[in-house]
Amino acid sequence: MDLANYKKVWKDQPEERNKISSLDIYKMTQSRSNSIVKWIFMIGLVEFIFWFSINYFATKSGNFEPFAKLNLMTFLDYSNYLHYLIVLLFLLLFYRNFSSVSTIDDTKTLMKKILLVRKTVKWYVYYNLIGVVVFSIIINVLIFNTPNYLSILYDINPSSIDQGQMMTIIIITQIVMIALMLLVLWLFYYLLYGILLKKLNKNYSELTKLSEIEGI
Amino acid sequence: MQKELEKKFLNDFEKNQNIVHKVCRVYTTNQDQHNDLFQEITIQVWKNYSKFRGEAKFSTWMYRVALNTAISLYRKSIRSIKTQDFDDVSFKIKSIDYDDTKDQQLKALYTGIRGLSDIEKALIFLYLEDKPYKEIATTLGITEVNARVKMNRAKDKLKKSLNP
Repeated sequence: MDLANYKKVWKDQPEERNKISSLDIYKMTQSRSNSIVKWIFMIGLVEFIFWFSINYFATKSGNFEPFAKLNLMTFLDYSNYLHYLIVLLFLLLFYRNFSSVSTIDDTKTLMKKILLVRKTVKWYVYYNLIGVVVFSIIINVLIFNTPNYLSILYDINPSSIDQGQMMTIIIITQIVMIALMLLVLWLFYYLLYGILLKKLNKNYSELTKLSEIEGI
Repeated sequence: MQKELEKKFLNDFEKNQNIVHKVCRVYTTNQDQHNDLFQEITIQVWKNYSKFRGEAKFSTWMYRVALNTAISLYRKSIRSIKTQDFDDVSFKIKSIDYDDTKDQQLKALYTGIRGLSDIEKALIFLYLEDKPYKEIATTLGITEVNARVKMNRAKDKLKKSLNP
């Protein structure tokens, strides 16, 4: 049978038996959306709270005496101001992206916008991860460049231990900790967004590939 | 003002709900998923209803929101995977004035469409709904030429599954 005949079959298909009443439609409009965008937004929000509280509690509860002893407080303060400024910029981007997503766009534009939302979240995560690494490196360089840092920090007599060995232990421990944290976070995001956006990525590439074909 | 808008929306939506049901039948395979997607489309249409200026027909505008929701926003819920899939699309549509052969053909058509990709489903759905290429192209955000190329491929794929 030809597709044109199937078109007729389609046209003649009976209407839905379970018609939804106006009251039920109204009830539905009052219920909560379960869309991908909403989930990305929730995850983004949880991430903000997570990183923000880590930073906040680290600043609040951390014992800063050693840093004060090493004269690093000015550096810590300024890096904190810079961090909050960047977080604020991300918040603005987040808001702009989310408010621009609309189902009345054409399908390709809509998908592009959702993927942009996801990209912003991704960059926020990258910023935090890279920030941790860069911050650790700078702090270490500053500490190791301070003469007698061991006696200042740990109250250890420098002549009683092998300073080189101590330094190696400190550096290796930090590298292992940071690498572990990066791995766990990467796995977490890969699984979370991977599952959430698999369908969308597939559909988007199908539409994009189409435009490339025309370009040839 | 809000009440007026609500009343107008409910009236428009109820009259055109058959379009939404058809989209749900194309994109889902069981009743739970059908209801989930229907609800999400209802929320999306209502959320954007104040932006609907009436420059196009309400139904035309609704096609876009419904398809966008099915393609880009809807996630199949875990709960619905557990329930048994139904193959019988016509179990909930009236069979009066509808003979068995047509019923079988309709079932075959839905089964064929469900085997297509999300984008192909949208193309075939709009074709079956008799939409012009220009409208199909603007709904999906591709050029008319692209829409034709893609449509021909989707039709071929569907034909193969209908007449193996």
